[in-house]
Amino acid sequence: MMQNKLSFHQSSVSLEVIGLPDYSNNENKDQISIISQWKLTIINKPLIEGKIEHLNPIMEAFYIYSNLLIKNKFPVYESKLIDIKADSLHIHNIVLKSSKPNVKPLTLKIGNSLLSDTINCFDQLNESSKVSIKKIRLTKNMPEKVRFRLNSKVKLLNLIIPPFIAIFSLILFSSTFIYFYNPVEDKEKMN
Amino acid sequence: MPNKVTIWKLRNNNPLRKSYVNNNIKSDEFDALIKITVEMSRYLYPYIREILESKENIEINSVIWNDFNKRFIELIKERFNLDSVRVKKLLNQTENEEFIIKSLLTLSLCISNQGYQKLKNFLIAF
Repeated sequence: MMQNKLSFHQSSVSLEVIGLPDYSNNENKDQISIISQWKLTIINKPLIEGKIEHLNPIMEAFYIYSNLLIKNKFPVYESKLIDIKADSLHIHNIVLKSSKPNVKPLTLKIGNSLLSDTINCFDQLNESSKVSIKKIRLTKNMPEKVRFRLNSKVKLLNLIIPPFIAIFSLILFSSTFIYFYNPVEDKEKMN
Repeated sequence: MPNKVTIWKLRNNNPLRKSYVNNNIKSDEFDALIKITVEMSRYLYPYIREILESKENIEINSVIWNDFNKRFIELIKERFNLDSVRVKKLLNQTENEEFIIKSLLTLSLCISNQGYQKLKNFLIAF
């Protein structure tokens, strides 16, 4: 059976994904749902390839690292499969650990330009409608506090209702206690 | 964004500018500015990439970086409030490097179709 091949390019980096459509799902002929192989080619660097189970962790590593890079001074990402560490402001050290025994880890040094090319290739794959992989969500890194502030139309009702409920519940509670204390009885006792 | 003048006016919301006016930017306007920025960086990606690359091996190719830095400083001197401490930091050639590289890198990472969401996240976390 012929396998489908899709390529994504960005300047000096290209990403190739090879696989088959999932016919049991009535998918189009040129769709790729079952990825059998992928290759990441960076000009002047060794070829990186692997199976589907490696693609997602590597993509995630790059995304997390790039997020850290923008927020931190010296970001570090470490996992079983891949380590990425900043060498300087401009150069990043990538260590790819092979899952096969007796294979030495592969070390790459890439600059900011190649890092952004690579991430842009991953973005294209992530957004492609022809490949179905577990999509990496971008919004999960947003802190809760900010998400609230960004909802520009803060509903006025949401601001007013809680204090009102508080006041009403106070009134309700205190009014029930009125029945426990009878001032007339108290006066009789005094007499 | 109805017209260019609106964009031009919105720029004055930047407290570092000489012509700073506090107009309180609206959420829609904030979104529109992000969209424009993403479109611009998609269009300018080859240049952004060149500048980043030039700084990576500065001994071989420093022309692009030097030109960019010179123009950056020129523009800041022309339009920003030079009395501000933050602006002074931007003008200091040794200190502004990290800021410029990170800004360029942020722009270069946001050129995809979802770039708008990405840039918004980066800006919020800034």
